Amino acid sequence: MNKELILQHGLTLDEFQIIEDCLKRDLTMEELGIFSAMWNEHCCYKTSKKWLKKLPTKNDIVIQGPGENAGIIDLEDNDGIAFKIESHNHPSYIEPFNGSATGVGGILRDIFTMGARPIATLDSIRFGEIKTDKTKYLLNGVVHGIGHYGNCIGIPNIGGECEFDKTYDYNNLVNAMAIGHVKKNAIFYSKPKTVGGLIVYIGSKTGKDGIHGASMASDVFSEDDEDDKRPSVQVGDPFMEKLLMEGCLELMSSGLIESMQDMGAAGITSSSVEMASKGNVGVLINLDKIPLRQPLTPYEILLSESQERMLAVIEKGNDEKVREILKKWQIDFEVIGEITNTKRVVFESQNKKIVDLPVNIIVDDAPEYDREFYLPKKRNKRKFDLSNLTLEKMISNLLNNLNHLEKSWVYNQYDSTVMGDTVKEPGQATGIVKLHDSQKVIGASTDCNPLYIRINPELGMIYTVAEAYRNLIASNIKPMAITNNLNFASPLDPNIMGEIVLSVNGLKISASQLDTPIVSGNVSLYNQTNDAPINPTPVIGMVGSNSNINKIVSNKFQSEGDIIISIGENIDPHKSPYFLQDQEIVEDINLYNELENINLEDEKITAKILMEISDNNLLQSCNDISRGGIFMTLMKMIQKNYGFNIKASNDFELFCEYKSGYVTTIKENNLKKVFALLDENKINYEEIGRVVIEEIKINSKNIDYFDIKDQYLNNFERIIN
Amino acid sequence: MRIKILIRLKKQILEPQGKVIEQSLNNLGFEGLRNIRQGKLIELDLPENINQEEKDNIISSACKKLLVNEIIEEYEVLG
Amino acid sequence: MSFKSAVITFPGSNCDRDAITYLRDLTNNDVLNIWHDETFIPSVDLIILPGGFSFGDYLRSGAMASKSNIIPEVIKHANSGKFLLGICNGFQILSEIGLLKGALIQNNKLKFLGKDCFVKKKHENKFNKLIKKDQVLQIPVAHNEGNFYCSNDDLNYLNDEELIAFEYCMGSFSNSDANINGSINNIAGITNEGKNVLGMMPHPERAYQNFHTSMDGKSIIESLIS
Repeated sequence: MNKELILQHGLTLDEFQIIEDCLKRDLTMEELGIFSAMWNEHCCYKTSKKWLKKLPTKNDIVIQGPGENAGIIDLEDNDGIAFKIESHNHPSYIEPFNGSATGVGGILRDIFTMGARPIATLDSIRFGEIKTDKTKYLLNGVVHGIGHYGNCIGIPNIGGECEFDKTYDYNNLVNAMAIGHVKKNAIFYSKPKTVGGLIVYIGSKTGKDGIHGASMASDVFSEDDEDDKRPSVQVGDPFMEKLLMEGCLELMSSGLIESMQDMGAAGITSSSVEMASKGNVGVLINLDKIPLRQPLTPYEILLSESQERMLAVIEKGNDEKVREILKKWQIDFEVIGEITNTKRVVFESQNKKIVDLPVNIIVDDAPEYDREFYLPKKRNKRKFDLSNLTLEKMISNLLNNLNHLEKSWVYNQYDSTVMGDTVKEPGQATGIVKLHDSQKVIGASTDCNPLYIRINPELGMIYTVAEAYRNLIASNIKPMAITNNLNFASPLDPNIMGEIVLSVNGLKISASQLDTPIVSGNVSLYNQTNDAPINPTPVIGMVGSNSNINKIVSNKFQSEGDIIISIGENIDPHKSPYFLQDQEIVEDINLYNELENINLEDEKITAKILMEISDNNLLQSCNDISRGGIFMTLMKMIQKNYGFNIKASNDFELFCEYKSGYVTTIKENNLKKVFALLDENKINYEEIGRVVIEEIKINSKNIDYFDIKDQYLNNFERIIN
Repeated sequence: MRIKILIRLKKQILEPQGKVIEQSLNNLGFEGLRNIRQGKLIELDLPENINQEEKDNIISSACKKLLVNEIIEEYEVLG
Repeated sequence: MSFKSAVITFPGSNCDRDAITYLRDLTNNDVLNIWHDETFIPSVDLIILPGGFSFGDYLRSGAMASKSNIIPEVIKHANSGKFLLGICNGFQILSEIGLLKGALIQNNKLKFLGKDCFVKKKHENKFNKLIKKDQVLQIPVAHNEGNFYCSNDDLNYLNDEELIAFEYCMGSFSNSDANINGSINNIAGITNEGKNVLGMMPHPERAYQNFHTSMDGKSIIESLIS
């Protein structure tokens, strides 16, 4: 065990010393491999744990918070919703198709391992500047991979994000979110119940896939490394996972399973250690029993990340019944070990102990760091020269920016209506599915504003959570809980660590005030290449519900003559970061002004009143105002041949960001009632115009409707080709 | 005995993949490469102790019954 | 009169539950769910081969499903004149079995296509009789291999015998091409000569409830039970 070997395994010499001191003996190579996998960032959160512990994770509607494979919230009547978001960033950079496909596979397993049938997915993907061939290759590969896996298994994709920014040039991001439906009295946890229970292996045979993938997730790339990392990417088989999912769900409803855990990052190692730790028991596993695709050493078996495999615990004597059920689904099944009371993780091969470690050293004694962090520097106040921005120029800047264009090129490659319960497909404020044979609906959105968070991590994060919240309110979905994916660069840089600490604090503040606890999530650090770190990108997946599908509000224009009302407060153009960036006024990150403060109480009141207005059927449609301002919101609301005729006191107001901003359309004869409610609650609003047919008019200026619509709908495909 | 069966779309069927591949090769500077078509290769082991006639029968049967859709595909046993 | 139906599930079928719900809601009757490996189907009026990725779409879409143990029963049901509907992967399976002419190959744009499309009735049969001439139906498609191909002879045959049930067309407010995947003659669905077997690429079971983007998919089952 030399220094080289230890560092190659991603452990620091200090960390290694802790292990040796605890064990008081030399480690075997296999044991070193285990620590390498379990003690890296991805598995033990050593950098982020200290800060994540401060997040609000409980309230009346939380059934399961962070710590299991997915979080679960209560929808009453024995209905639970399990959900989680996870990243597969580094594998997607190396091999975009398989990297993103297996990301989808992994998150789906996290859902059904809890007994929940997956009912929807969302994907938040980010790429560098489109003009490089590399970005085009990554975009095509990632979208193809996500579609390939999700479509085959048959889970509808209902939303997500797709952002392009040069900060991701060498580090694209793929965050996959999944939502599942579980009966509250049939939730499965990873905790085994009985000592003597049999540990069984279910699923694909094990091969060399992804060996050291969990460590790879934490490695910083240097540009020359690509070819060396290539063999480590896992290849997924969505057909196999469909069979596995059906087989496991059938097993779980058969009463034959005690506990279930999927084999994800660090494969059999992490799943068996997790089980032992949760149940406060030990595991004894015979590696010779593991179904193999090709000859593997014990070390390779322990670290393999072959896909589509589950670990379960069953009562002694039930193995034949389990085998019968799995046979129908053509799934491999092997009894590989048993639950012991030793509180040790023991792996054997050829009748020898290869690994014999106390569980608590691996889990409880995993390092937890309090890394040094810097606060962002104070910003000077600045004013910018906006004199060259005409209305036409501002529109043109947005319609030639991939971030603002309609993205059906992406989501038409996904099946959004399989399972027959999709209420709102991608391209709207909220993705919505109905629970099967029920009137209840689930809505979700993924959001992040990396530019805001770069300027002010804490306040920027509050804006992001507020936006996710608004995206649900706009459809009359009550926001309930959050899953978050923290994507950051290297925490060894105190500036980056500051971004992590402060944005987590912003998440804590906003999630507490808005009463949307964090029930699951994922951390992906070291997203940087050479010295180019990514902007802080903590993605929020917000989930909510409405008990009555008929109360859902559309995000698109409904009829000619409806009055358009904007709600919220506009932010001065000099203080609207995305406005300044997208209109090409500011490029240097240091020149932006401080973010304006926002008041979450205002956000809550506006949301409450909007939901009341919606419940009273007074709202024809609603959409939130975010990047691109009122203008982009209006463009997103166009459907069929509707257009808009609006007035604003100055053109900039239509393109700047807003606080607690929404655009709503209301039937003329409902205006009085709506205004009364808004006035009563002192909510800021303005009547700005009307829904019209085949026309776009701004301050009486006619904009070519057909040209603008065509650009909005088709420029994305034009630009990426 | 290892057998290789090459399966291709019939000539008269428009095969967009080949066109896209040709375009990409073109973009990389390979201008003279034309008429590209993409097929698929099935490899399998046959039992050792059978004669040529039995071998041909098994292969053509397997192709007819499953491996090849004769409405749109044709096949060739390689080597 | 009680209309009885069954849905066959193959390993990898993922629209089987959707088809069962569709039939249950529109025929007001329980629906049998038959596993691909069984060898008997009780007498029913309609069998649906649902959409999905049977056998992963490996080798060719529908190829391995078409060799399942249940298929002889499906063929027997079809040969006796009863209704058989193949949706998406089900259409691919019917072509592989040989109950329908032609084959489904990869979409001409080489990408999976998941969006609403527009079709209209071309030739009449019991599945589309309630649909008016020139009525445009809006129904989602979700496929990689939806590009219908057949020989010229077969195309003439399909036209002469009037077996083209649906063809893709333009939709209102949409200026994308009518032909979404390269299918010959915009063919979206065809029947056999007896007009009791229909294969179609669009998913009517995703267009029949009031929260779906359209309810045009109702007309198929309504036509059958009328």
